[in-house]
Amino acid sequence: MNENEIYKVKKTNPIIKPIIYTLLTIWTLINIFPIYWMFTFSLKDNAEIFGDNIAGLPKNWLWENYARAMTGGKMGIYFLNSIIISAATIVLTLIAAVMATYAMSRIVWKGRKIMNKFFMLGLTIPIHSAILPVYMTLKNLHQLNSYQALIIPYSAFSLAMAILICMGFMDDIPKELDEAAKIDGCGIWGTFFKVIVPLMTPALSTIGIYTFLQCWNELMFANVFNSRTQYKTLPAGINELFGTHTTDWGPVGAALVLATFPTLLVYVFLSKKIQSSFMAGAIKG
Amino acid sequence: MKRRLIALALAAVMVLSAAACGKGGSKGKTKLEMWCIATESDSNRKSYELAIADVTAAHPEIDFTWESFENQSYKTKIKAAVAADEMPDIFFTWACAFLGDFVDAGRVYCLDEEYKNWSKELDVKMLTNSTYNGKHYGVPTTMNIVGLFANMDILKQVGYTEVPGTYKEFIECCDKLIKAGYIPFGCAGKETWCVTEYLESVIEKSAGAEVLNDIFLGKSTWNNKDVADAVDTFQAMVTKGYFDPNGMALGNDEVKANFMKGKYAFYMNGTWNCADFAKNAEFFPKVKVAEFPVINADKSQLGQLIGGPSDTLAVAKSSKNAKTAAAFAFELGKEICHYGYLDGCGLPAWTPYYDTSSVNALTRSVADIVANSNFMVLFGDTAQSADSANIYLSYVEKVYGCQIDGKGFIAGLAKDIK
Amino acid sequence: MRTSDITSDKNRKKEIMKGLTIAAFLAPALLLFVGVLIAPIFMSTYYSFFDWNGMGSRTFVGFKNYAELFTSEDFKFGLALRNSLLLAVLSVFIQLPLSLALALALGKGIKGERGFLSVFFAPVLISTVVIGQLWLKIYNPDYGLLNAALRAIAVEKTNDPEGNVIVLKTLEDVLVKWSGDVKDVLWLGNQKIALGAAFVPILWQYVGYHMLLMYAGVKGVPVDLREAAMLDGASAGQVNRYIVLPYIKPIIKISVIFAVTGSLKSFDLIYVLTNGGPFHSTEVPSTLMISLMFLRNRYGMGSTIAVILIILCFAFALLIGAAFRKED
Repeated sequence: MNENEIYKVKKTNPIIKPIIYTLLTIWTLINIFPIYWMFTFSLKDNAEIFGDNIAGLPKNWLWENYARAMTGGKMGIYFLNSIIISAATIVLTLIAAVMATYAMSRIVWKGRKIMNKFFMLGLTIPIHSAILPVYMTLKNLHQLNSYQALIIPYSAFSLAMAILICMGFMDDIPKELDEAAKIDGCGIWGTFFKVIVPLMTPALSTIGIYTFLQCWNELMFANVFNSRTQYKTLPAGINELFGTHTTDWGPVGAALVLATFPTLLVYVFLSKKIQSSFMAGAIKG
Repeated sequence: MKRRLIALALAAVMVLSAAACGKGGSKGKTKLEMWCIATESDSNRKSYELAIADVTAAHPEIDFTWESFENQSYKTKIKAAVAADEMPDIFFTWACAFLGDFVDAGRVYCLDEEYKNWSKELDVKMLTNSTYNGKHYGVPTTMNIVGLFANMDILKQVGYTEVPGTYKEFIECCDKLIKAGYIPFGCAGKETWCVTEYLESVIEKSAGAEVLNDIFLGKSTWNNKDVADAVDTFQAMVTKGYFDPNGMALGNDEVKANFMKGKYAFYMNGTWNCADFAKNAEFFPKVKVAEFPVINADKSQLGQLIGGPSDTLAVAKSSKNAKTAAAFAFELGKEICHYGYLDGCGLPAWTPYYDTSSVNALTRSVADIVANSNFMVLFGDTAQSADSANIYLSYVEKVYGCQIDGKGFIAGLAKDIK
Repeated sequence: MRTSDITSDKNRKKEIMKGLTIAAFLAPALLLFVGVLIAPIFMSTYYSFFDWNGMGSRTFVGFKNYAELFTSEDFKFGLALRNSLLLAVLSVFIQLPLSLALALALGKGIKGERGFLSVFFAPVLISTVVIGQLWLKIYNPDYGLLNAALRAIAVEKTNDPEGNVIVLKTLEDVLVKWSGDVKDVLWLGNQKIALGAAFVPILWQYVGYHMLLMYAGVKGVPVDLREAAMLDGASAGQVNRYIVLPYIKPIIKISVIFAVTGSLKSFDLIYVLTNGGPFHSTEVPSTLMISLMFLRNRYGMGSTIAVILIILCFAFALLIGAAFRKED
């Protein structure tokens, strides 16, 4: 500690620090504003939203907007659906990605590099271009209007990134462990379950969070592939609050808050974890 | 460990609920499913709910379910469903070209047989927009026209107690408004269909309804000098500052809110707005509705309107109970029309069999206008095929933005629309 | 002879077993990937050779869709492509440097580092619908926050011809004059500025994302490496330039690939903010694709755009990879 102090040769200019802080504070305000705005907007009526009072606090705090957004308890169903679909997508993505990565990183065979490149194609495909073909496929498999109708496409679209992240993590697991397991009499499967999977847990949370972000806000597929209330997700459900010729914006705002705040709350409590997951994913990738 | 437990629990919930959902439905009942766009905040929501309650109560043998979707995303959804032949038994659709594509694809159930049972209550004229090759494919619910809504408080400021009836007076009124510092028209440039509500009325009242109708239906080309002149008339209104210059960057929700706040003297839009205006107790006494005045009396006359029955229910050919669905769709359409009219969401396509005295005054004046009408041209974006309609809309946007004049408009459309 | 036969037999068996195991491990991922991503690519490619409205019968037209897409003025595909490439350039040269600056500032270890980090990352978590609606309100010409703020800033005071009264010129007046609008600046309604206005939220939302990636890299720079440089008399700027940047180069490469392919695929915010208007000035390939497929019922043409987009994204990813490799 002391040594560092002594040897520090150049001191930073004293003006720089306040400047950096000012800039960071401005950027902070810019980033906090949407959250504040969304919350106040959810408590206003159309007149205030359209002009009378866009940025200020609501004149009358219309808590009934929340009651209206919750009509018939549907938001509850949508919320549960979103959680079920996200959770299942994460599980499916994880299983598929970890297994595939194992085959491409630990087992030596011709073409594993090409296989990996093939999966990386997935990073570049725009999700919107696949709507009708995927719809037709789901229809032929009789899987429309079900949880699978979203779980399968979401997993497929998260797969490339998941494999990318997995690769980075798995390359870090020393190969000697595999050999030790082999000597202990483990086959490929045994090594996979007893050595690799337990060591991959940090990667799992990274992939889990990434996948969650991918599917939690997705609207296009959610709207087209599911038609029944019992399977609708939050974004599709919120979209239903918009009318053709009339739209009451207050309840829409309330629904947006209900859909966003849980994510934000989780983020506030887990921010360190989430950030480190993101970082891990990036560095390893 | 905990995380794994949660994941397991969720997976279990998923499997259980998936299993539970598979079993739903009661035995012996005919299942019918419907998709529509009457979402929670749509002005038609109430009439759909009431109508469905009535009709399902009258048919305990039918197990009826329905889902509503937001307008724009519904278009994607219903098209994908038609492509895959996965439509529900009954579905909402817009008449003319939109339904026409589905009919061409052979996915829609013909309603000729069923219509015989309802022809007394539903005039065959109302089916024109959903008739293809002489066969009927749609049940109309309500119909709407373009109305010239006026804020009488503002008109009073410049000395008018009625909406000016002739074009000359109308223009004088607009000039007076501008002089007094008011903006005559509000129009959402971001949603081009709002511009067509103005432009189509101007074209119709200058070149005549028949000309416009023939063009929309592809019977004649856009290459028509009268249309070019009418477009120039409209553009003159824009350049003279009759329109809110900020309108170019606004959506219809915002423009409508501005009109109700008293920013504009006039607002030309569909008569479905009556329901919303009637709901606002403070604004409702100020508003009146009128027909757009005739610009060229040689070619057009009062009673030529833009609008007509477009909101339609159709039945899927793939439905297992298409016959039952058809009967149900007619009954439902009739009731949606009934409650929609009483609510002010539109005019009845079906002959009213009920007391209409509770209908709001604004909707009733629209009904009077329609009663005196002699020609209705359907909204251009509905009447034309999807591809043509979008080309048309992009030219209308250019006219509103003064990028092209009347000549450019007709030349461009004649070239691009095949 | 016999023994080697047995061993080669054994080897073969082993090889087959290994092959089966590999197949088993790859099966779930391959099934998902091929079924949901690769098959649609082939289907889209197939559809792109047809004139098809997505519902009825289709007519084979060969490469006509491709030719028409690039030659017809009606589709504005060239413009859309140019816009998305411009967005890619802006994200690489504005968004990423901003992210990098934030990452470097925070990575040095300042007070409140964690708090700043959390707040800067928050927009990534908020849904596009919310972000879009928010910016619509910010850009509203009448009561939008931006115009209201500009109205409050006076930039010029001049005496009017009579001498006494002072005429205030606000920043908004100046901008109105410059942009050619009438009364207020129409951020999303003026084709001169709409594209720039629509890009700002897109660039802003993901600054936090790239920042976090780079921050992780900055944090990963070994402390002794930094200290050694400092001992040699390097300034903070020099440390960043010669130690940190080379160290986090792989991350920057990934950020660049994400930023470029993300720009080519961008859809959500443009769709909410302008849906391609005014006069198609903010059209990007994805908005064009969706409107061709589902509004204009030109499914074959929409598929053509999808195919071109996939090829472009892939080509750019390879190109960027190659560019970074060359520098090494």
